[in-house]
Amino acid sequence: MNDKPRVSAALFLLTAMFLLLTVSFSRRGWMEPPPLKANALLDPELVRPTTMRTSYAQLIRVQADLSDFDCYACHETNKPPTLRFDGSNNLVIPKEHSDIVMAHGQHGRNNNCFNCHNEQNLLLLQTRDGRQLKLENCPPLCGSCHGPTYRDWEAGAHGRTGGFWKKEAGQTTRLICADCHDPHSPRIGTRTPLPPPHPLHGAGRAWAETEH
Amino acid sequence: MSRAIRDYLVFLGRCGRIAFVGDWRYYAWMGLLSVLCLLGLNAYARQFAHGLVVTGMSDQVSWGVYIANFTFLVGVAAAAVMMVIPVYVYNNEELHDLVIFGELLAVAAILMCLAFVTVDLGRPDRFWHLIPGLGQFNFPASMLSWDVIVLNGYLLLNVHICGYLLYARYHGRKPARWFYIPFVFIAIVWAVSIHTVTAFLYVGLGGRPFWNSAIVGPRFLASAFTAGPALIILALQIIRRVTNYGVTDRALLTLRSIVQVSMLINVFLLANEVFKEFYSGNLHVASSKYLYVGLHGRHALVPWIWTAIGFNLLAMVLLVLPVSRSLRWLNLTCVLCIIGIWIEKGMGLVIPGFVPTPLGEMLEYRPSLNETLVCFGIWAFGLLCYTVFLRMAVPILQGRLCKANERAPGGRSPAAREPAIGRP
Amino acid sequence: MKPEQPSSDPAPGPDAGMSRRSFLRGSVVFASGLAALAASLAPLREVDDFPSLEQFAQKYYKELTPAEMAKVLKRIEDEVERQYGLRPHVKDLKPQQGVQFVYALNLTRCVGCRKCVHACVAENNQSRTPEIQYIRVLRLPDGSLDLEKAEHYYQPQSVPEKGYFYMPVQCQQCQNPPCVKVCPVHATWQETDGITVIDYDWCIGCRYCEAACPYWARRFNFAQPAIPKDRLNLDMAYLGNRPRRRGVMEKCHFCVQRTRAGRYPACVEVCPVGARKFGNVLDANSEVAYILRTKRVFIQLKEELGTSPRFFYYFDV
Repeated sequence: MNDKPRVSAALFLLTAMFLLLTVSFSRRGWMEPPPLKANALLDPELVRPTTMRTSYAQLIRVQADLSDFDCYACHETNKPPTLRFDGSNNLVIPKEHSDIVMAHGQHGRNNNCFNCHNEQNLLLLQTRDGRQLKLENCPPLCGSCHGPTYRDWEAGAHGRTGGFWKKEAGQTTRLICADCHDPHSPRIGTRTPLPPPHPLHGAGRAWAETEH
Repeated sequence: MSRAIRDYLVFLGRCGRIAFVGDWRYYAWMGLLSVLCLLGLNAYARQFAHGLVVTGMSDQVSWGVYIANFTFLVGVAAAAVMMVIPVYVYNNEELHDLVIFGELLAVAAILMCLAFVTVDLGRPDRFWHLIPGLGQFNFPASMLSWDVIVLNGYLLLNVHICGYLLYARYHGRKPARWFYIPFVFIAIVWAVSIHTVTAFLYVGLGGRPFWNSAIVGPRFLASAFTAGPALIILALQIIRRVTNYGVTDRALLTLRSIVQVSMLINVFLLANEVFKEFYSGNLHVASSKYLYVGLHGRHALVPWIWTAIGFNLLAMVLLVLPVSRSLRWLNLTCVLCIIGIWIEKGMGLVIPGFVPTPLGEMLEYRPSLNETLVCFGIWAFGLLCYTVFLRMAVPILQGRLCKANERAPGGRSPAAREPAIGRP
Repeated sequence: MKPEQPSSDPAPGPDAGMSRRSFLRGSVVFASGLAALAASLAPLREVDDFPSLEQFAQKYYKELTPAEMAKVLKRIEDEVERQYGLRPHVKDLKPQQGVQFVYALNLTRCVGCRKCVHACVAENNQSRTPEIQYIRVLRLPDGSLDLEKAEHYYQPQSVPEKGYFYMPVQCQQCQNPPCVKVCPVHATWQETDGITVIDYDWCIGCRYCEAACPYWARRFNFAQPAIPKDRLNLDMAYLGNRPRRRGVMEKCHFCVQRTRAGRYPACVEVCPVGARKFGNVLDANSEVAYILRTKRVFIQLKEELGTSPRFFYYFDV
């Protein structure tokens, strides 16, 4: 019986704990986890399938204004333009075409406009073996030097394909060389990458720039 | 027939009632456990409401303390068999009356395992998808399906064995051998299988080289058979202290020799693993490096694993020396074993498998407060169950709760009839 | 007074009074315990999306009859409309005959811009907070495929950076998928056109598949996904981009709502450098068949694990 007060004390304490818990648990916001920090939303424009540049072929596709490509608005017919070179044999771009950066081939290997353009008819392109191509049909010209890439492009393995993979279900959208590559400066440029991932518990970013 | 059912219900009723009767220490202990359970339940309700985002887990580390505890406790459950083998195979007399406490511990441990797995599920309301026949049970391809079968089977086996033995004793009858001995032997094999299947959960994953190693299964068993009997040694001494159930020192020393051998094997297997990982210098050791020495500036687990290794080595040395034959040193050794193996098998196995991720990302894991409360709650629940089991079993085994004293003369209330915990 | 006795072993007679008192005392404790138990479940009052009986008992995808599937699709449309105020069109597209999808990714071309990652997020109604992205772009130093050297969080001013190449990783739709093997409830399986799909209404969220995947391709909904209303893609498929709930797995499914209608996946369509190629490898005229036929160097990631991915990384030689 000397234990009776201890039993009473234990049970009293227990009841008190239970009641304390009942009150605590019932409070709104008891140990409520903090809301997650919302991740920034991305501009939907950034994930539209756009091309790298707008080619002449694209202008034709969308029936835009083609006046920029009317060569004989400035040039005289039947008078092939003369090319000028500087002391180190680099092509000098005339000021009327100052938007062109000539970087097609390293060490100035492709330094002549008329490697591709037809000096007799500026509205056409020409290959080395004498084929005359419309300005919007550059792939055979590009392919005459870039064989393996042209072969891949014909099969659909080079350059983006979009639309339908299943020909019976719809059209596959194909692009031509100039839709992505600037013919005068074909190397694909750099771009800003889209944001990196956000791990759930934040700690991953700390290692981001460690060298190893 | 109906009389048999009525008898059984009366038995269950008395067992249930006795769980609420005890001295102040009993109330204090059960009270503490109940409070922890409630905190855990509340934390789980929060997890159910908000999702597993309230834990510290992420896509990078998608299993955490829940599965770590589950793995450890499957080992504890399997280790109950360690007492069964000496008694039923080798007819050890000392342990004969104590086996049931091991089996009851196995039941409590399995209940904890099932609880840990349930709280880890993203959609526990869809548990019925696991039921063969009703849902889509991916047996035998998925090791988790094997785990469901073996764990539930083991639970049923032990509930049957303990329940039958206790009920027979309650009736003062000698238990019919055919009704429990075969199950005991099945339980021996089954116990090994539950832990092997749990090991195979990890071993079968080719994409995680830290786990995809043949040594994981044997290590699981060796560490289980160290930590389990260590827990039983401690539990038996508590039983001896709180009731006056006969637990001889020799019985404890028999269990000590099991812990001794198992710990030696465990440390040997650890040495094997460390050698294999680090000697040849191949590239698949990232997880081991992260665990033992840290990787790419991340080293959260390093102090943990070295504590575990330190505890295990110290325990091994103590176990080998005769000093651990003294109960005080033995108890310290058991505590070292349990903590060391909990760390090594829990956090030291589960987390490094995820760091780095299969794509080489390093993201560490820390359990959240909510997660920790749920773990404490489930441990408290397991201890609560085990205490209740003992509260029922000890008086039955001592003959103080039996059919004979079911109906007492006079107008006593039911509570007045129940026997005390302490000295009769 | 009564002689010394242990507390709960009462003597007869006068204890009748004490036992009534102890019974009352016990009841008070018990009642307060029950109150605490009930109160501990208080967070559940925040839950506004308990599964309905219909959702709870929904059958496995492969066992649904067309009529039952139609009901399920309508239920999903109703739910999305309720949650987002917009009614989607949810279809159940079946795999087509004679189609085996293969994906090829040109590592010479990838510049690491991550447009594919975000196009996928937009197309497939992935959660923005917490963030789920099926595609993870790795930056690796030139000359090594050691994934331990991968950087996931690169954020330079411009890409590509000199001395590095970029490798986007997503579900490889393995021909021998470890995730399918380990799922305890068959919630994920491989369909005849090669896509490994997940039935989001069947998954129990055990995350065993996430542990099993050698490519870290699977994602789990740790919280209720947050998709901005104005970004919801209303063209949905049951096994594809319909909104998921917390507690279930998801992953790249080759934009099943697009590809089974004959279209390219979103990642293929958006890639500005055309590094991504997709198609039916059984069609000899497809670009993927051409690539596998003509390219000499291509890699299946972690080939030695025997997963046999349908995803091929190649270089332009």
